[in-house]
Amino acid sequence: MIFAFNNSSRLASRRKREKAANFLSMAVLVVLGAIVMFPIYWIFRSSLMSNGELYAYPPAFTPPNWRFSNYRDTLEVFEYWKFLGNTMTILVPSVIGAVITATMGGYAFARLRFRGKKILFMLCVGSMLLPSMVTLIPLFVVWAKIGLVNTYWPLILPHFCGGGAFNIFLIRQFVKTVPRELDEAATIDGCGYFRILVYIIMPAIKSAMIVVGLLKFIELWNDLLQQVTYITRRDQYTLALGLNIFKGSFNDDWSSIMCATCLSFIPGIVFYLIGQKYFVEGIVMTGMKN
Amino acid sequence: MTVKPIKKLVKYNKAETRTAWLCLLPSVIGLVCITYLPMIASFALSLFNWDGLGEMQYKGLHNYVKLFTSDTKFYSSLWVTLKYSFMSVTLSIVYSMMIALLLNRKIPARSFFRAIFYLPYVLPAMAVYLGWKWLYDFNHGFLNYIVRLLGFAPVKFLDSSTLVTPSLAFIAVWLSGNLIVIFLAGLQNVPRTYHEAAEIDGANAWQRFWKITIPCMTPIIFYNLLMSLVSNLQVITPALSLTKGGPGTGSYYMCFMLYQQAFKSHKYGYGSAVAVVLFILIAIFTAILFATSKGWIFYEGDDKE
Amino acid sequence: MKKLLALILFVVMLIPTMAIAEDDRIHITYSFWGNQTEAESVQVALDAFNAMQDRIFVEPMQIPNEEYTQTLVNYAIADQLPDCGMVNENAVLYFARNGVMADVSDMYAGEQLQPMDCITFKDDGTPVGYSSCNEILVLYYNKDMFDAAGEPYPSADEPYTWDEFVEVAKRLTIDVNGNHPGDDGFDANNIVQYGAFVNNWTWQMEVWALSNGGAWFTEDGKECVINTPEAIESIQKVADLALVEHVAPLNVIPEDNGVGIGIGSGTVAMTTDGTWRLGTDFPNLDINYGIAPLPVMEEKVTLCTSGLTGVFKGKNQEAAYEFVKWYTREESNWESLILTGIWLPKSEYYYTTEEGINAWLGNEKYPYNHDMETGKKVLVDYTMNNAKPACWYFTPNTQITTNEILFTALQSVWSGERTAEDVINEIYPELCEAIVVD
Repeated sequence: MIFAFNNSSRLASRRKREKAANFLSMAVLVVLGAIVMFPIYWIFRSSLMSNGELYAYPPAFTPPNWRFSNYRDTLEVFEYWKFLGNTMTILVPSVIGAVITATMGGYAFARLRFRGKKILFMLCVGSMLLPSMVTLIPLFVVWAKIGLVNTYWPLILPHFCGGGAFNIFLIRQFVKTVPRELDEAATIDGCGYFRILVYIIMPAIKSAMIVVGLLKFIELWNDLLQQVTYITRRDQYTLALGLNIFKGSFNDDWSSIMCATCLSFIPGIVFYLIGQKYFVEGIVMTGMKN
Repeated sequence: MTVKPIKKLVKYNKAETRTAWLCLLPSVIGLVCITYLPMIASFALSLFNWDGLGEMQYKGLHNYVKLFTSDTKFYSSLWVTLKYSFMSVTLSIVYSMMIALLLNRKIPARSFFRAIFYLPYVLPAMAVYLGWKWLYDFNHGFLNYIVRLLGFAPVKFLDSSTLVTPSLAFIAVWLSGNLIVIFLAGLQNVPRTYHEAAEIDGANAWQRFWKITIPCMTPIIFYNLLMSLVSNLQVITPALSLTKGGPGTGSYYMCFMLYQQAFKSHKYGYGSAVAVVLFILIAIFTAILFATSKGWIFYEGDDKE
Repeated sequence: MKKLLALILFVVMLIPTMAIAEDDRIHITYSFWGNQTEAESVQVALDAFNAMQDRIFVEPMQIPNEEYTQTLVNYAIADQLPDCGMVNENAVLYFARNGVMADVSDMYAGEQLQPMDCITFKDDGTPVGYSSCNEILVLYYNKDMFDAAGEPYPSADEPYTWDEFVEVAKRLTIDVNGNHPGDDGFDANNIVQYGAFVNNWTWQMEVWALSNGGAWFTEDGKECVINTPEAIESIQKVADLALVEHVAPLNVIPEDNGVGIGIGSGTVAMTTDGTWRLGTDFPNLDINYGIAPLPVMEEKVTLCTSGLTGVFKGKNQEAAYEFVKWYTREESNWESLILTGIWLPKSEYYYTTEEGINAWLGNEKYPYNHDMETGKKVLVDYTMNNAKPACWYFTPNTQITTNEILFTALQSVWSGERTAEDVINEIYPELCEAIVVD
């Protein structure tokens, strides 16, 4: 009796404390969230102002005149849909390629036993340590010799080669969390290694694959240096390159840059919203133990 | 379970090896052609003087000697790179851990908050830095407007060689949404039973955090630490899009130095030498991290291999 | 599903590789940087050239400004340079010296229109290229702000001395309480209107060394003299506008310009900048502005500069030469670049003859045609009598000296952390080493 009483009073006080703590966390999150969102709001606000208003002192907290026409003007010169289409032409195959080949690589490193695995894995991790711009010129020369500069091939094909060490590493970590009993059962049923990968492993690490896709997406989205190097025809411009056209030879049109910036946010956000269900819940399910 | 020892007797299964190499074929091609061959080329280039258009001149270790003995900017660059990495890695790990802990509670609108803290990470980096320029600006920035309202002298967030790196590191913390998501995943994997058992033993929340949550999270902390260390030592975007390496050498990070020397001043050999040094630097840090990891990473029994 | 995916991949990848239909004309590429408007005006010119004759077809190749030179160098390394294209000022001698550019020294031989000597790039005294146009530095001011302060406009005949310039700027600088610098209770932390903004882009700073009786490099391009007291003092004086006099906004990372951030929004009354802003900025700013010569430290001087259109060596060199020769004539860019105010003409004829001057400055489309008197004094006379070429016309490796070494070092001066003397003396050996060519 005493035991039960003790327990329930402890439970009640614990509930109370938990409630207070939850309230406090909520308050902290609201404040921090507002701080985190503020820079994004600031960019959005700037996109609705004229160049003169942008430089005025004191800075306006909300646009003095909500110049939504900025967007219309920007869209006249910023060929958003075309640039978006071009970006997707590079991104979609690259992301798919990276996800597939990274999954294959990660699977091999996590599950299969073969000679040279250790050293290969070390080489793989080692390649993360190298800034990618170091390899820009040698690679460019090779692509140019093959005659593929000014096509999207140099921007797409490399991602069919493992999708980067980081992603292989990530997939490897995830595959390790899939219980070995599952593949062993499949082996007994007569499945080969490839079938295990496709029917057992891939469904189990679907979420990790989505994470790789998102990371690749963001990486490519931000990779101006490669795009500048390989694309010089206006009709092939991507969004990242397109943002540059407001930086003229003599002057920068800030409000247009801000508009174009806001427009370029949209695909990333959409991708996040689509992916978030999978990858957040997904990671939770599998965890990321070493 | 009994299958395992038998398999170990067979040295390497032929079919398994074949599958492994097939699976790894794309990755191996990538490692060889996209990473290591060009890397060797660039290591070799560091022994030459080359302006891109003219003849290459073999100079032996001249570039390295110059880098370490007469280039004053190199040491500043090394210093600010380490400073930036230290600040952004520690702060973003602490920040994202804290946010993850808060988000791990049973609070309303959790996925909404998660989206908010993750959002900075999914936005194009260049664009994000442009936005921050308008907050940090000395003359018309919002932050200095507040500072002035409060009656203080405006702060040179990006305009002082000592403040610029902390200011940029702050943006890096703001951008660390990916760490939050990974931490959050880890937190939800900490077995509840441990906490309950500890609570019955009379451990308070603080003790439970240090004795249970943190140890259980060490593999994930390690992973995040490694990833953010590697990427922060290679920092370049803020310098490219905001500060151009300045003021002075305040944000002259090594990757930026490499970019500047090779692509802007067309000193490809010298730039390659910087790249080699940077590579070695990152390798040392990674090695240290791996070496110490055995001491402080706690693996749950069932995950040990 | 997989088949569909493969099909999509295949189609998507084919699109960019589809070749342009061949014809028997010589196809050449012309590379350039610029924003949308600039790209359109380039296309107009190319269309005109392509329609004019049937042997050569020119295609544009657009590269973002910031990455322009490095991208061209990448293409050169891969032996894939375009046939002709714009070349950034600081890369002209670097390209010429490495034998990438074709010899164009006889391009204007026997022509009536000769490019001015001031905008001729010389490698060790030998002409290697001509700028596509002329640009000089001038003082812009916001007339309304001068009126409000009851201040007379800057004179076109008698430019301000530096001290006058600072004094006028002080009277035009106002803090939140309406005080000026030097007044009791002036609050330097709460300035709402600045008097002046001297553009501190690295290359523009050279003009102040010249104005102060010094220089950055000797005229043969072989020696660096930026460590002379005149040159150092000139840098410090510009920095002190913001740091000591409080008449200018702080601009540590010299990216902004006074036209965009200052005159246009009514927060800065005077600014120095290049003449291209007559065409690129002012038509979009709804303000009442005037132009005047630069303030004078010791000597009346301005800087002239402009990039060039180069012909690159290769199998299409002759066709490219022909195109460039046509393209760089004033008439070919008359409507799009000269009458819009973006370019000043490059040939002496347009500065020395009455009909030449009237053709552009007197044209009803020219942005500064309402005040021809001033225009003549500031744009024409200054170009003819007071303009000196920027250092990249005669000094090698300015891509290293101005772009890299000075750019980084001077930021410490702008921020007030170090003095100009301190900084210049520290980097002087580096600068001397950088301009040596072997």
